[in-house]
Order: sequence, then structure tokens, then C-alpha cells
Amino acid sequence: MAEFFSFALLSVPYGCAFSLVAVGLVLTYRATGVFNFGFAAEAYAAAVTYAELYQHGVNRSVAAILVVLVFAPIFGATLDFAFFSRVPPGNRTAKTVMALGIMVILPQLVLLGIGENTVLGPPTPFGTQGLVGYVGSVPFDGQQVCQLAATAVVLTVLAIALRTRRFGLPVRAAVESPKLLELSGVDSRWVLRAAWMVSTALAALAGVLYSAGEAQVQYVDYNLVLVAAIAAAALGGLRSLPLAALGGILLGVIWGVVQGYVPPDTVWFVALVPSLPFFVLLLLLVFNPTFRHLEDSTDPMAAVEPPPPAPALARRPPVMDRTIRMLRWPLLGIAVVAVVVLVPHKWTNSLTAGASLSIIFLSITLLTGLAGQLSLAQALFAGIGAFTTAQLSNNFGVPILIAALGGALVAGVGGWLAALPALRLRGLPVALLTLCLALLGDNLLFNTSWIVGSSNGINVARPSSFFGVNFSSYDSEGFFVLCVVVMVAVAGVVNLLLHGTTGRALTAVDASPVGAASGGVPVRRLTISVFILSAAIAGLGGAFYAMTYGNVDPTTFNSLYGPVFLVVVVTVGASTVEGAITAGMAYALINQAFTYLPVHVGGTQLGAASLTIVLLSVGAFTYASHPEGIFEYVKRRIATTVFRAVEHHQHRGPVPAAVEEHV
Amino acid sequence: MTALLEVVHVTKRFGGNAVVDDVTLAVQAGEAVGLIGANGAGKTTLFRMIAGELPTTSGEVRFDGAVPPRRPEARAMLGIARTFQLVELFEGLTVLDHLLVALQAHERQQGPLRDLVWRGSTTPEERARCEEALELCGLHDLADAPATALSLGERRGVELARALAPGPRLLLADEPSSGLDPDEATALAATIGRVRTETGLAVLLVEHDLATVAAVAERVIAMDAGRVIAEGEFGSVVANPLVVQSWLGRTA
Repeated sequence: MAEFFSFALLSVPYGCAFSLVAVGLVLTYRATGVFNFGFAAEAYAAAVTYAELYQHGVNRSVAAILVVLVFAPIFGATLDFAFFSRVPPGNRTAKTVMALGIMVILPQLVLLGIGENTVLGPPTPFGTQGLVGYVGSVPFDGQQVCQLAATAVVLTVLAIALRTRRFGLPVRAAVESPKLLELSGVDSRWVLRAAWMVSTALAALAGVLYSAGEAQVQYVDYNLVLVAAIAAAALGGLRSLPLAALGGILLGVIWGVVQGYVPPDTVWFVALVPSLPFFVLLLLLVFNPTFRHLEDSTDPMAAVEPPPPAPALARRPPVMDRTIRMLRWPLLGIAVVAVVVLVPHKWTNSLTAGASLSIIFLSITLLTGLAGQLSLAQALFAGIGAFTTAQLSNNFGVPILIAALGGALVAGVGGWLAALPALRLRGLPVALLTLCLALLGDNLLFNTSWIVGSSNGINVARPSSFFGVNFSSYDSEGFFVLCVVVMVAVAGVVNLLLHGTTGRALTAVDASPVGAASGGVPVRRLTISVFILSAAIAGLGGAFYAMTYGNVDPTTFNSLYGPVFLVVVVTVGASTVEGAITAGMAYALINQAFTYLPVHVGGTQLGAASLTIVLLSVGAFTYASHPEGIFEYVKRRIATTVFRAVEHHQHRGPVPAAVEEHV
Repeated sequence: MTALLEVVHVTKRFGGNAVVDDVTLAVQAGEAVGLIGANGAGKTTLFRMIAGELPTTSGEVRFDGAVPPRRPEARAMLGIARTFQLVELFEGLTVLDHLLVALQAHERQQGPLRDLVWRGSTTPEERARCEEALELCGLHDLADAPATALSLGERRGVELARALAPGPRLLLADEPSSGLDPDEATALAATIGRVRTETGLAVLLVEHDLATVAAVAERVIAMDAGRVIAEGEFGSVVANPLVVQSWLGRTA
């Protein structure tokens, strides 16, 4: 029993970090409608800033106060002012995409700032580092006491503040309806901004407290804290602040106790114990009925909001569609011939990687662009496809292209398993579920040696030759052409679904699940089909990506890439196959181009990858005004300008309404 | 003769509160029945149980003599169509697309297999059947219009046409005149009447606008506090003291 209490008490400080983040998540979500996926990134950025300030000689307490009470609130207010306040309250998808944008961009900006330097964990911001005293026989050091004290003070102050007439009452009213609050004469913008400032300060505090005493400040640790905090917040149905706070501490304690009793150096300790918060979140998402209706608007003034913009395909001028249909094959042919004939060899492999990534990204077109589901697990499915291909080819002698199909099949089974819990959910809960699955994939699949081999991964051979064309060399144009052929075939499949009965039915389900069901649309069957197909396509793309580089390791498709892939595709354009292909090619080519930059700007591989992600993701913040994606928007603008000029030249008359209205 | 729709001792409780309490009613094939009652009488909850959107706490719903599958899409496939009090249209689709979605679902001609094997998303027969339903609802000119660009009256018409496109046997119409002006409500009632005449469709109509009920329904059922309090011809039901009391809070 003493051992149990020892494990439990020592875990409370960890639970405090979960509590702070959980409370911040619920506060932001309830007050602003934004589920801040960027919370971990904000905590990480705060921790790195704190550590850097300390390294540069700033007093640790002063550094912590600066980060938590000055920098973080300013950052939160800036996020609200520059981005979130401009999104209509009812457009939850845009808010989620923008929050994912923070999740993806902020850690990369931090990485660009620190380069390849290791950020050592700073000391605790207040008090002594050493032993402070005992509770029973359990020793507590300064860091743990600081975590406990800071959490207790902050949560008490917040609880009191939320009961005040001046701050708490408007915040609670804004939770129900910002518009009604405005009609009562209160400027809801400032209330929401205050909520952002408080919640960002909470993220920073969690980041500072959690980093203290750690050997190294790493983003991956904060992502784990985020998911544990989401699970804690989910215990209160993403509604109750006290339950979120209690849930965080409870989860920390349970985690600590389980960790204490499971023998180290066993598969249970390595794989299952770190996955405990993910299992808790998974169970809550599936069995707590709150999450089935989480996205239902309860704002009585919701009806006065203008409807979100129509999907890109519905807004295109017909003449633009015809032009694209006419030009796509000749343009593709010219591009392929140009690559084979003109492009230097060292760029061929980047283009091949781009074609493979495009296949993965087409899976997002299917699931997000068509079915409206935000999946953060597409990298997991790509990884399943890649590792299955490698295993089938290396250990069972299956020819590599057949093995790639096997990889797609196994990934499709993974998609089916993911679809089953997702069936009753829509919107944010699906994003949370898939994030959870991606993290479980990291711990349970990509952490298992018989699947991934050593930490260096497994070699994946290319097909040696086909009809006399050599595929095996690193810069093989033949393999590039093969990848393009597969990419075009997959794009054709996705295009048929986009423009066919499936696309129409899924648009209906996305717009009104209850209306679609009343029309007889088999919502469950279609949802499962699309999940399976999407996962299989991602698996196929993953297999070709692995063949492109000749290797796949546990980090190639880890959980951090799922949000990156989603944000990049949504930013460039998730509603058309051209958008996914452009995103894939741009990702690979920009990454290659950035490697030529001077070292101090980002010439390292790390810098190039970070810069690429930032550049391609930054458009997430324009999602509210351009949900069709930047590429689709620019394409439409250019097409409209060209058509307008042509019309003007031919008729010297006004621009036809059919063109004008689509600008 | 077995009724097309039978609601047999159906009760629905939310917590301890019986929103629908031991309701029994029947709708014959081709018959139009009006369901009236004050707000909170349990009409829409009853509707949702018939459509399969809510499970019953006790009792059962029978369609064509058998208990239908639980899910709403399965009931729609059997021929139970419905419209909604707050119009449920599909943003991003045209009016014709709305009907195609329902028709192709009903004909089991929807999904990746059809798209990948047969390509083409619409056959001439499917388009003709949808245009027929649009014609019936007076929306033929709006086939290619985006549904979100329509007036409320037209949107209600699209919902009705979508419900009619697969050729249902029972239409559950939930306050179709809600938000319409008197002229639009009269036109909608006339449309429902015309549809019944031409297709032999049975209709269960929930409605507050008594003029619409009088124009459409042959028989009226009044509910109050989850229970059926009167049933019969329109004139006798609205004159029933219990109905008057439940609606106006006093006896006639």
C-alpha cells in the first residue's frame, strides 16, 4: 500500500501539467469554439524560450514570469487578433484547420530558431532544486513542489476569476453565444481575446513547469502531454473546467501508478504504458455520447451567420473546368518528358518522392476533400503500407510491386479498423480520434522491432527492371515514370469518386447527415468504404515513398507527419486531385530547393524540411476565406483574369456574368 | 386490412420524463393524417421514432405489417420518406443532385463500385425520374440551381421533391409550412394534395397551421403532453374541448 501511495503521490506533479493544459484547452474551446491543437506547440515554444533566456543569463524566475505573463498573453492576443477573430463563429472546420496550422508551424519555427542545438532542460523557475521535504515517506523536490504550488494557485485564481461579474460572467455568456453577448452591449471580441490570452499563458506555464529538470526540451514530449490533457478534458466532455483539472491529476496518478507496477524492459512498459492516455481518450471518444454531438451548434444566434463558402468545384466557372480537362494530359505529358530529358539527375529523385507523396496526399483529397473528415492518421497508414511492403518483399520474397499492393491492402484493413470507431463521430472528434490512433501507431507498431527492424529501419528495394527499363538506380527516370503512372491511376480513381455518385452522396452526408440518412444514403457503408480506400491509397503512397529512398524507418511516417500532411494538402487544395498533386510535388521540390540555401538560413536538412512545412502550411490561416485552398484560389483568379481578357479582346464588351460571379 | 403504418403503445422517455406516452395510431395506405398539438406535445419525437432516428423506450413501430430495421436509411429504403421542420438541404449540391442522391441510394446505385466500374454518375432514366419529381413539385426550372441560392419556399419544395424522387409509400412531413407566408403555405398544401392524387402516397403531417392540415389531411390526431387526446375528422377534433384546452389553456 505504501508503494501505491508513493507512485501516486509522485505522479501528482505530472498530473498538474495535464491539468493546466486540459483547463486551457477547455477554456479556449468553450469560450472561442477553437480546439487548440497548437497548445503543445505553444507550451514547447514557451519552454524553449524560457530555457534560452536562462541560458543567456536571465534570472530563472524573471525568465518564467516574462514567458508566462508577458510573451504568452501577447502571442495569444495576436493569434486571436490576426487570425481567429476573423473567422465566423459557426465555421468550426476553419478554426480546427487554423489550430492545426499552429500545431504544425510553431514547432518548425522553433526548430529553425534553435537549429541543431540541443536545448537543455532549465531549472525550476522558483525555489530550490533539491529535496524540500517528505509526505509520509515520499520525498518531494523543489521542482515538484513548484509544479504543485503553481497549479494550485493558478487554478484557484482562475476559478475565482470565472465567478466574477467583470470577467467570468461575460466569458460564460460568450461560451453560449458571442452574438447574444454583443446584443447585450458587451464587446465579445475582448472577452474572447482575454480567453485566448489566459489559455496561452496556461500553455506557457505548463511548458515552463514541465521542462524544468528534463534532460532535454523536445517537442515530442509536449505532444504526449497534449494528448493526455485532451483525455483529461474529455473526462469532462470538453465542457467542465473543474472536471478537466481533476481529470488531469487523476490521469497523471493512474499513469504513474501503472508505470510504477509494470516491470521495466518489457513490451508492456515500452509500448503500452506510454499509450495509456491514448487508450483513455479512445474509449472516451467512442463511448461518451457527448462527442457524437460535440459539433452541433447550441448558439441560438447561429442562424444569423452567413453560410460557409461553397466548395471549390461548385464555384469554378464551367469554362475553367473545360480548360483543365483539355490541358491536363498534354501538360502532364510535357512535364514527364521534360523531367526525363532535361532535369538533372539529382532532382529526379526529388520529383519521384513528390509523385509518391502526391499519392499519399490524394488519400487526404478523398477523406477530407470529399468526405469532410479531418484525419491526422494518414501518415500512419502510409507507414503501415511501407513497412508491410518491406516485410513482404524482404522476408517472404514477394515481388516488390505485388508487395506494394499488399501494403495497400493491409493499410486498407487499418482504415477499416479506424472507420469503426469513427462512424458515430464527425468533425473535431474524428480529428482527435485519428490523432490518437496515429500516436498509438507510433507506440505499438513503429516501436516494435519485428515490424520496423532496427532503429535504422528496413531497406526497401525498387523493382529491378520492367520491359527493359531500369528502375533500380537512385536517380532512375524509369522509376520516376512508374511513380507518375501510379499517381495518375490513383488520381483517376479519386477523380471518378469525386465526380461520381460517391462524391455526391458524401457531400450530402457532410452537409446534413440526418438529411442524407432520411434519403436512404448508406452513411455507414460509404464512410467505411472511403476510410478503407483512403487508407489503402496512403499505404500505396507510403510503399512508393519507401522505394524512392530505398528505406523506411520508424520516423519516416511518425505521428508528427499526420497533421503536417493534412495541413499542407488543405492549404494547397483538398477538394481537387490537382491540389493534392501540386502539394506533393511542391513539398518535395521546395524541400530540395531549400537545401541550397546558406546554412544559417536553413541549409541543413532539418532547416530545409522545417522551412518547407512552414511555407506550405502558412496558408492554413486563410482557410476561412479560401476553404478550397490557395492553389485552387490562385488558379481560379488566373483563369478568370485570362478569360476576362479574352472576352474583352473578342467582344470589346462587358465580362459575362457566368465568369464574373465566380471571381 | 393491415395498416401501412402502425404505432403500437409507443413510449419515449428522456430521463424520467415521458415525452411520448403510450401512443397508438395507424395510417392506411394512401391516407393523409394530420398530427396536431401544442409545442412540446411530442409530435416531432414521435416522428423521429417512426423515421428511425430515435429508439422507442417501449412499444413498437410497424411498417407494412412488420417491424422495420432501426436505422433511418434502412427505413427510407422501405419507402418511409420525410421532410424536416428546419430544412435539411445539402450545401454544395444542385437541386437535381439532391434528388439523385436519394434516388440512387434507393436504387442501390451509389458508391465506389458503381463509380469505378460503370463510371458516369447519372443515367438518362435517373435524370428523367428526378425531373418528373421536380415537375410534380413545380421546381422543373430550378434543376441546375444551387440549393443554397433558393428561397425558403423553394427549399421546402426541394426537400419534398427529394423525399418523393425514390417513390416512397409514406411521407412524414414535419411542419412543412413553418416559416412560409399564407400564399406559400397554401401552394405547398396544394402540391402535397396533387402528389397524393397522382402517386397514391400516404402522408403523416405534423403541422401547426390548421389551414394546411384542413387542406391536406382526411383524418386528424391531436396530442398533448405525449398522449393522444382526440382523433377523427378535422372539424370534430379542433372542436374537441380537450384539444381547445390543450391549445388555448381554457375550455371552449
